Amino acid sequence: MAGYILCHSSRSFEYDLVFLMEIFIQTLTNALVLAAVYILVSLGFAFLFNMLGIFNVAHGSIYMAAGYLGYLFIQALGINQWIGLIIVVVLFAGLGLFLEKFCFRPFIGDFNRQIMIGVAIIAILETSVNILIGSQMYIIPTFVEGILKAGAYSIAWDRIAAFGLGGVLLILVILFVNRSRWGQQMQAITQNMEGAALQGINIHQISAIVSALGCALAAIAGILMGSLYTLDPFMGDGTLIKILILIILAGVGSFKGVIYMGLLLGALYATLPLLIQGAASDAVAVAIILVILLIRPQGFFGHEVS
Amino acid sequence: MKRDRMSKWAKPMALVGLIIILAILPLLFSSPYLLHILILTFVYIVGAISFRTITISGQFPLAHAAFMGIGAYTAATLSRYLNWPPWITIPAGALTAGIIGIVFGYPFARLRTLYYAMGSLFFGVAITYFVQSLKITGGYVGLTKVQPLFAGASRVPYYYFFLVLALVCALALYRFEFSRIGNNLKSIAQSHLLASSVGINEARYRVLVVAIGCFFVGLVGAAFAHYTPIVTPSTFNLSATLWLAMYVMIGGMNSFAGPIIGTPILYFIPQYYFSNLRAYSPFIPAVILIIIAYLMPKGLAGLIFMLKSSYLDKLWGRIKGKRVADAAGN
Amino acid sequence: MLLEIKDLTKQFGGLIAVNQFDMYVNQGEIVGLIGPNGAGKSTVYNLITGVYHPNRGNVIFNDQDITKMKPHQIAGLGIGRTFQLNPLFSDFTVLENVTASFNLRPHTSFFDIYFNTPTYRRNEAIIRERSLEILQLVGLEQVKDDLAKNLPHGYQKMLGLARALATQPNLLLLDEPLGGMNPSEIEFSLNSIGKMREQGITIMIVEHNMQILDLCDRVVVINFGQKICEGLPEEVRENKEVISAYFGGEHAT
Repeated sequence: MAGYILCHSSRSFEYDLVFLMEIFIQTLTNALVLAAVYILVSLGFAFLFNMLGIFNVAHGSIYMAAGYLGYLFIQALGINQWIGLIIVVVLFAGLGLFLEKFCFRPFIGDFNRQIMIGVAIIAILETSVNILIGSQMYIIPTFVEGILKAGAYSIAWDRIAAFGLGGVLLILVILFVNRSRWGQQMQAITQNMEGAALQGINIHQISAIVSALGCALAAIAGILMGSLYTLDPFMGDGTLIKILILIILAGVGSFKGVIYMGLLLGALYATLPLLIQGAASDAVAVAIILVILLIRPQGFFGHEVS
Repeated sequence: MKRDRMSKWAKPMALVGLIIILAILPLLFSSPYLLHILILTFVYIVGAISFRTITISGQFPLAHAAFMGIGAYTAATLSRYLNWPPWITIPAGALTAGIIGIVFGYPFARLRTLYYAMGSLFFGVAITYFVQSLKITGGYVGLTKVQPLFAGASRVPYYYFFLVLALVCALALYRFEFSRIGNNLKSIAQSHLLASSVGINEARYRVLVVAIGCFFVGLVGAAFAHYTPIVTPSTFNLSATLWLAMYVMIGGMNSFAGPIIGTPILYFIPQYYFSNLRAYSPFIPAVILIIIAYLMPKGLAGLIFMLKSSYLDKLWGRIKGKRVADAAGN
Repeated sequence: MLLEIKDLTKQFGGLIAVNQFDMYVNQGEIVGLIGPNGAGKSTVYNLITGVYHPNRGNVIFNDQDITKMKPHQIAGLGIGRTFQLNPLFSDFTVLENVTASFNLRPHTSFFDIYFNTPTYRRNEAIIRERSLEILQLVGLEQVKDDLAKNLPHGYQKMLGLARALATQPNLLLLDEPLGGMNPSEIEFSLNSIGKMREQGITIMIVEHNMQILDLCDRVVVINFGQKICEGLPEEVRENKEVISAYFGGEHAT
């Protein structure tokens, strides 16, 4: 990409400007869409981790499984896209309830066993997807057809819709956390679990709701990724790493930080591949994160962990 | 009233028995697949033991498989491009892993547990991406044409090589843990404030244990590079590290024997006995993990300990009592 | 002077925990550092032992400026301490707690430790013997094989003391050694501290309980991070400022 830009110095300046502008718009769109996807999927992880201290290593696999299941319903079984999306979201919300009751709740406070059960869930989900759906890369047909044209520039409508959907969901989540009764109870539990329980808050109920919500958001993120980009069998592992990077940079305990950092990281992931080819860009991204971790381990918005 | 305990020779005797069985095994079973899986089991046992060694001080080396990869790739590149013989490349791989462990451990060891764990996780991931991006290490596909340790197609010499290597590493790490050094690490894990007030240099010990753990896993990784036909990055990724952690955890984190018990159960048994299940085979380790997580909090070593103290000791007591009664009756 | 503290100041954000604090301790003395809760006594200890570094001021031990040193280095120079909240190596036995604390003298190199040389074995035997002696001194030899976390509170405190003695200090900093003890335990502790002085250890005691005054040669009183009084126990006991700092005008016990 950089070489291509340099080679065109012989053309007229105006032409270059249009070209650069187009790259800029595409990158910006990518950044916003990626940010939306990663924020959505990370929120689910952050809910469980900040509130209950549960380290759900399987969250990336949940995201992946939802994407593949969406492909199964929409492409393989031919169900209408929007209905398929809703079915998957509802199923995964149910999965969230199930996991919370049987896999997370018994192991609150026991990090080792959380990881054990998480690894087991990852194995089960990945194997199930492999057997039922397949281990290839797939694409879910787009939800919104067409391209928006403005002068010389164009953006696909589905990307705009994805970003819009992400934004709407985010606003709903923020409203939920800040305004609703459940959301405030959730904040109380995050700050002090024992105190919240003593005040009569039903921890089990809130954690069930929050787990279902988190898995539902991850499901939406998975299907978005599957329709805007692609589904691949390793996306769970890679996304888990991106989730952890996001949470650590945002800081433990902060949901606001997830949003800000999500935008920043979306921009990073969209622009870095332009400058560095292939796997090296991933390596550089993680190296940058490592340096930040050394300088400011507690992240930028959260509180210190004892 | 003191309960009769099994003779203190029981444990060493069982160990010697196990070693003898392992030593004569190739003479009884010649299936190459069995030997192959056993070789890999030995490799992962060393990985699991060295993983657990680092956790003595309270740190979690979530880059551990990546360090095995550092050892493997170092040995592989030195062998393929410079044609160095294995008896040089293998120590070189181990040393490289150990030194990088020190370089990484030094700034990160002073962080608190969670941040150190996250830092090492990202470091391991960075290593994986780094290796995938370089042509010299073969990219995603991996490195081939590494000089094998032994000529010929037979797995038997490799089997003995890795058996001896595993025993030596286990012995070395055992000595490390059950000496004053290991004790000081346990002190640091229990109260770092207290440990420094009695003169333990916390930072130095933390870096030391990371270096030792990384050295041994790099050693076995470098040896592995001279056995496997191709060295691929996916063998050493985050998932591999998580599984090493699982081998330790189901065996029991608090016992040296834990990883030695856990690895065969979680790796060898599914790989060898259930390999015909093909795509379904990952379910077996998952089920084992679930069973242990819900039913055996202290891992299998803890279970054996409980069994030993309640059942076996009583049994031994009855045997001894009978002997005494016989002697008295005659 | 064995220990000299000059102009020591430590600030945490907006709170000044220790404020231009001066004091000294001579070889062979028992000096008390008393003051109400929150006066800054433990912070002074943390500043001496290198857990915190002061914003201003110096700590000089044996004519050496130790202000910027790390805790394990300071322990190596001969300052031992106990802690108010008394952390222990809870998974170790009582005896192991003490032997684990014998890292300084005798000091064995990594090489000797790892390869189980005769030097190492000899040192370990010496350590074990000395640990048993210390346990006898503090009255814990009966429970030497019990797990530290299973001990009753008073015993745990004595174990903390035993652990500090294992570092063979020249200067021993005791932090609330009588905290949470019943009268017979207090008497035993005071006795033990006296025996330690006979063995040549210089002792500084932070205490809340005024009974400690009987044992001290000299007393320094601290409140709000500043020294408010210094002198012989009798003088300090009568001092009006001290009484009002502690009791705010209430009737003293």
